[in-house]
Amino acid sequence: MSIDSILFYLFAVIILGSAIMTITRRNVVHSAIWLIGALVGVAGLYLLQGAEFLAGVQIIVYIGGITVLFLFVIMLVPVREEALTHRFSSQKWIAVFCSVVVLVILMAFVVHGGGSLEFPTREAPLEPGSLTKNSEEVGYVLFSEYLLPFELASILLLVAIIGAVVMSKTRKSETES
Amino acid sequence: MEVTTAHYLVLSTLLLFIGTVGILTRRNIIVILMSVELILNAVNINLIAFSSALQQIHGQVFSIFVITDAAAEAAVGLGILIALFRNKETIHADEIDLLRW
Amino acid sequence: MPRDYIPILIFVVVAAAFPIVTLLVAKLIRPSAPGKTKLEAYECGIAPETDTRGRYSIRFYLVAILFVIFDVETIFLLPWAIQFDALGLFGLIEMLVFLAILIVGYVWLFRQRALKWA
Repeated sequence: MSIDSILFYLFAVIILGSAIMTITRRNVVHSAIWLIGALVGVAGLYLLQGAEFLAGVQIIVYIGGITVLFLFVIMLVPVREEALTHRFSSQKWIAVFCSVVVLVILMAFVVHGGGSLEFPTREAPLEPGSLTKNSEEVGYVLFSEYLLPFELASILLLVAIIGAVVMSKTRKSETES
Repeated sequence: MEVTTAHYLVLSTLLLFIGTVGILTRRNIIVILMSVELILNAVNINLIAFSSALQQIHGQVFSIFVITDAAAEAAVGLGILIALFRNKETIHADEIDLLRW
Repeated sequence: MPRDYIPILIFVVVAAAFPIVTLLVAKLIRPSAPGKTKLEAYECGIAPETDTRGRYSIRFYLVAILFVIFDVETIFLLPWAIQFDALGLFGLIEMLVFLAILIVGYVWLFRQRALKWA
């Protein structure tokens, strides 16, 4: 087994194990900590695939930003005793059954269609080099071919700022009383 | 055993499965939002796997947009959660049943 | 290619192993005398009156949200800065439009006084 395969299986175990822990933990803070584990594993996979820039983005935005956001909201909302004993909703077995059916179908697609995933490699494959190289590549494509999505992303972020602030702002009447 | 694109697809399918189960079974909305993040990560694993299999950079650029989306989704989603808690005093998905009959 | 990152992997492993080994060694060496008082929250000697997880102000969340949004903005700024020469004036205008849209949000925040800490 090559070192690539070993690393892939290592990261796969980290991702899936942490993901299972994320959705089963009783304490929400523990869920958030395990979520960080899963995100680190995904960042490792990015590095393995030569996407260094994205691995950095994953660490900075997901782990440094979004997880912190989750932890802040957990601190804002008090826990109830009853929530700790009943963490799954009543339809859990039906839900698991339906998800397993979907999983089986998707797996059948991947297993039977595995042959069509053998892509012909280009004559001159991209140089999966250092961080700068990958970032340069991403930057050039992002700002030339993906011009419109890039500008739309800024509008999305603007909407996110306004939406989040409007949703969470205390109303005037509340602060006065 | 050589790791192929199919391996990455299987991994991402399993992650999607775990995320779906989390969304459908958990009561706490914060954990549901975390499961959404897991699913978005499964999407990103796919995009990166194809990007490296096809030797094209487009998958990576697309992943950046997915991550941007995830950040916006988390910000607004958690904002809605806080507004909900203020009005209903609950963050449990099965207790918000105003539209159920 | 992953060979280039082996030093980083070793660094991560050592960083993860350090607290684990330290705690394990401490657990093996120290005398074990568990007690209920030791698990209580320490509040200058008086008995704690409320739960440790009191409610925080919503302002923390607002600041965290703005941090995340402008964090994502940086993600777009970095590749632009790296490719500044190749993209030239067109890239500059592109980025200025991007920033202008986001600054609208920033100005709106200031007008709403969402950042005021009082």
